[in-house]
Amino acid sequence: MNLSEPSDEPIVHVDNVAKCYGKWSLRGSRRVHALKGISLQAAAGEVFGLLGPNGAGKTTLIKVLLGVISPTSGNAALFGQAAGSKFARSRIGYLPETLRVDRHHTARSALKFYGRLSNMSGQQIQKRSDELLELVGLRDRDREPLKRFSKGMNQRLGLAQALVHDPDLLVLDEPTDGLDPVGRSEVRRVIERLSAEGKTIFLNSHILQEVEVVCTRVAILSQGEIRGSGTIADLAGKQDADVIMLDLQFDDDLAADHFLREASADHPALDLAFDAKGSPRGTHRLIGKVESQSSVDQIVDLLRAKGISIKSLDIKRPSLEDSFMKLVGAVASQSVEGGTGS
Amino acid sequence: MRPYLTIIRDSFHAALASRVLWIAFIAIWLVVAALAPIGYREDLTSDFRGARDLENRSRMRALLVQGMSDPDLAQTAVGRLAAAMPDNIVEDLERVSAGDASELRTSDYADALNKCLDDESWYDREAWSSTLRLAELRELDEIADDELDASQRRRRARLRIEAAMPGVFATRAVKSVSLTYAGFEFPAELAVDKTRFVSIINQFVVPLIIDWLLGFILIFLGILVTASMIPDMLQPGSLHLLLSKPISRSMLLVSKFVGGCAFVFLCVVQLVVGLYLVAGLRLDIWNARLLLCIPVSVFLFSVFYSVSVLAGMRWRSPILAIGVTTMFGGLCFIVGIIGGVFDGFVTGPARIQSIAVAGDTTFATTRGSGLLRFDEDSNQWVDVFESNAFSMDRTIQPVVINDDTVVTARTRAGRMNPFGSGAADLLVLSEDNGWEPEPSLRLPPATTRLYPASGTLLTLSVTDLNETATSSVLDAAGQPTEEEPEEGDSQASQSGEGGLFARLSSMLGVAPSGFKSVLPRGAVISAPRSVVVSDSGKEVFIMSGGRLLRLSKAADDQTWVQEAEYELEGDPSLKGVIAVDGAVLLLSRSKQPILVIDSRTLEPISQVPLAENLLTTSVQGIGEGRFLLLSSDGRCRLVRPENQEATSYVIEGTVGPGDVEAITFSAEENLIRIAHHTDSIDLLSAADFSSQGYLRPSLGVWRRVDKYLISPLRFVIPQTGELGQSIGSIVSGETALVLSTPTGEEQVERYNIFRPVVSCSLFIGFMLLINCLYFGTRDY
Repeated sequence: MNLSEPSDEPIVHVDNVAKCYGKWSLRGSRRVHALKGISLQAAAGEVFGLLGPNGAGKTTLIKVLLGVISPTSGNAALFGQAAGSKFARSRIGYLPETLRVDRHHTARSALKFYGRLSNMSGQQIQKRSDELLELVGLRDRDREPLKRFSKGMNQRLGLAQALVHDPDLLVLDEPTDGLDPVGRSEVRRVIERLSAEGKTIFLNSHILQEVEVVCTRVAILSQGEIRGSGTIADLAGKQDADVIMLDLQFDDDLAADHFLREASADHPALDLAFDAKGSPRGTHRLIGKVESQSSVDQIVDLLRAKGISIKSLDIKRPSLEDSFMKLVGAVASQSVEGGTGS
Repeated sequence: MRPYLTIIRDSFHAALASRVLWIAFIAIWLVVAALAPIGYREDLTSDFRGARDLENRSRMRALLVQGMSDPDLAQTAVGRLAAAMPDNIVEDLERVSAGDASELRTSDYADALNKCLDDESWYDREAWSSTLRLAELRELDEIADDELDASQRRRRARLRIEAAMPGVFATRAVKSVSLTYAGFEFPAELAVDKTRFVSIINQFVVPLIIDWLLGFILIFLGILVTASMIPDMLQPGSLHLLLSKPISRSMLLVSKFVGGCAFVFLCVVQLVVGLYLVAGLRLDIWNARLLLCIPVSVFLFSVFYSVSVLAGMRWRSPILAIGVTTMFGGLCFIVGIIGGVFDGFVTGPARIQSIAVAGDTTFATTRGSGLLRFDEDSNQWVDVFESNAFSMDRTIQPVVINDDTVVTARTRAGRMNPFGSGAADLLVLSEDNGWEPEPSLRLPPATTRLYPASGTLLTLSVTDLNETATSSVLDAAGQPTEEEPEEGDSQASQSGEGGLFARLSSMLGVAPSGFKSVLPRGAVISAPRSVVVSDSGKEVFIMSGGRLLRLSKAADDQTWVQEAEYELEGDPSLKGVIAVDGAVLLLSRSKQPILVIDSRTLEPISQVPLAENLLTTSVQGIGEGRFLLLSSDGRCRLVRPENQEATSYVIEGTVGPGDVEAITFSAEENLIRIAHHTDSIDLLSAADFSSQGYLRPSLGVWRRVDKYLISPLRFVIPQTGELGQSIGSIVSGETALVLSTPTGEEQVERYNIFRPVVSCSLFIGFMLLINCLYFGTRDY
């Protein structure tokens, strides 16, 4: 699936990248296709979300971007240079899902260590450390050994180390994992702030609501392929129309059935139906698909023309989760039906 | 480089944060604290220490019996000393004189002599005036008793006893060292002076400590501690973060590797600096070379760590990394053992010790006490006497009587009887007889060397230099001779010793026939000894116990006359070698400059400095006043006159091949033969050292196995055990280890410095390459 995206030079450019692992055992060798021709782009200042179930290939894609592994085919470029090049890596800040820093470090010495690995001078590190420790809320505990740190504190430190060399691209793998709600909110604020500063953020997360809130664009991966991508609105819109729900009061069930037959015959596009489970006592819940406001007006006019009393009306837009479940679920069911595997 | 230095520095911090490191530190400090009370005390050598000092017990008993029994000797030095012996010694001597075996141990005799050190009632100035006194004794005799302290008086008494019984005692350094611990003296003194003590500490004690503590315990501990470093780094949360930084994968791994050595480095620094300070502060041995053990130990560790890193990367498990490294250590050990067995049983015994050339036939003795003849037809060394591993037998260096005849001898010896059980016969090998050994005259006891000299054959024994006519030797072997042996030559005699001494000698199984001493009456040869005969065969030069003598054949061509004597400066116990070339004698003693001496007057002409780490193992005059020096590094060096007047000499660079075993020079052919690399021989022109040919014997099966299988295996599998030799060499600053054989001869074992270093370096380099390739190409 190819995306046509912003006109600016993309910061992340992944073109038809495939990655195939060979696994050897006594029983013979087999090949695992972790990525199957992935293509995507992320422009400067974007917060790009990468979604997918376990085993979808998200980590493999991030490893390709970091240069930790080489793609079997296709090209991945960052800042116009091959992913994994020294230049590209010098401009990436990476927060791994489970950060492991040697236990002899303190928060400050860890930042110094990672700063040095990014060729920063002592003065630069000192200045950035003060700012970042303040930013992630570890200013008062910067001299404590890491062995006393909780998982959430480790995650904050991870975020600080990812930012220490002021990277242009942040690759965050589950950045809010292990954080309490306050911490999550703080991380979201940091992401928004960085985005506002023009940093590009590549976010890999399981928490769909979080992605929905902070990401400008999203790609959904499943079984090594991109199943959908675009803005949250685009992604949801591409999958389904809004759903209208009306709780109506009829004289009896016969009248209700009569109305549904007539309305469906006159307006088949609305796809009207009764939802027996969700209706309040003494009412019938009518659901239908609405493409636009005129469709809503049309249904309301129809009901009023028949003198049917409308107890409540609600229009529900499909969420990212709905889209995700639909895209991923469809692939899963296809796999089950087709009996295929990766 | 900043990122990589950061990784290395971080490894040091990680090591310092490790509890195991601090436990190791405490253990090291305890070891150093336990060694710290060791001290030493240096005093004049006075007490006799049993068998080590009483080198020739038979002679001592014989002299004491003679002094006790012969009324004419009652007022001589030995007579007065015999009279001072306690009752148990007197009874034992009476048993000996009656033909029974001695029932007392050597230590009983030593105790009796030690009692004489405190009570000098036996001393009489007149009696001792006729003895041969060393310069030190002469100086002490000039000093009044009350001006000497107790130690000096005991020393003087010892020298007087030595003068009364020449040829009995081993030459000892003037001063001896005693070890102390926390101020308490160890029960036994060390029979060495400070110089030798320092050498023992540097060549044996320190390498032993380093080998065990650093080479084994610390390395194993280091592997245990560092085995988890690579698997830890490979954890996704750590590795992916590191790999996302703008650093090279290979350099990251190399930095981690260097950083992994931090643990061992920190421990080694503690231990080596501790040992250095203990040696310096407590033993006055400020040996900065000891500090070089730090990089060597880390180097040794890195051999094993390179294996641990690969195993850690492959399986990401510290336990497997430790297991694989331990198995690798076991493999190194097994290959080392196999190599040692081949050294001991295959190569070692085959190493040439001396060469003799009779006409076109080359003979060689080997370290395995073998005698070989080179068969040109088969291009092989043929055994005359088979070489054996760890043989206590001794084949005396063969000498050439004429183009068709060589003479040698073989004594059977044991640990308790190094000079041979029973008697040894001279063996004559002639071409006419197919080079089969034919027994000839019975040799004087404890003969160690033979020298051809103008129609006679000289034999050097522990205390004496005897001669017999060559014709007598050939005649006794049933060989045709051109001249009839003179009557006097075939009679057994011991000039200067007769009567009771002769009987005692007979009782002790000493019955040389056809030999007579060439030494002046009453003179003996004492260790350290070295003899060389001039090209004319009419002059003999002897280094004996710190003195040089020149004997010349008298006009009657029957007797030898001492014509010059020179007392060498410095410690008389220093061992050395001499060679003569025309009017020049060259003497090289350990740790001393080479002395070039006028062979007529025995006065030094020039001194030539020799590198401190070198020891001359043999020297050969090669004409035109030049000498070829074989040094402990297995290389030959030329010593030649610097100017036409030959008033000063210089030592030049190396000549010929390396790994030299022996050299010999043929004046007639003007050829130098250099035995090297076990049993090969190169022939060089003495004029310009150009190659004139070589002997490259075909190898036997086991030698082939050694050359084509074991040696490559020892090169490929790093021989970490051999690094101990490198440490010994580094700490002592020497190129070889000098060991004394039971017969008092020196055996020079060259330190094998380069093979383990090169082999280990290549292995580390290879492993790092493999590690980097694996780490650089693998998907994580």
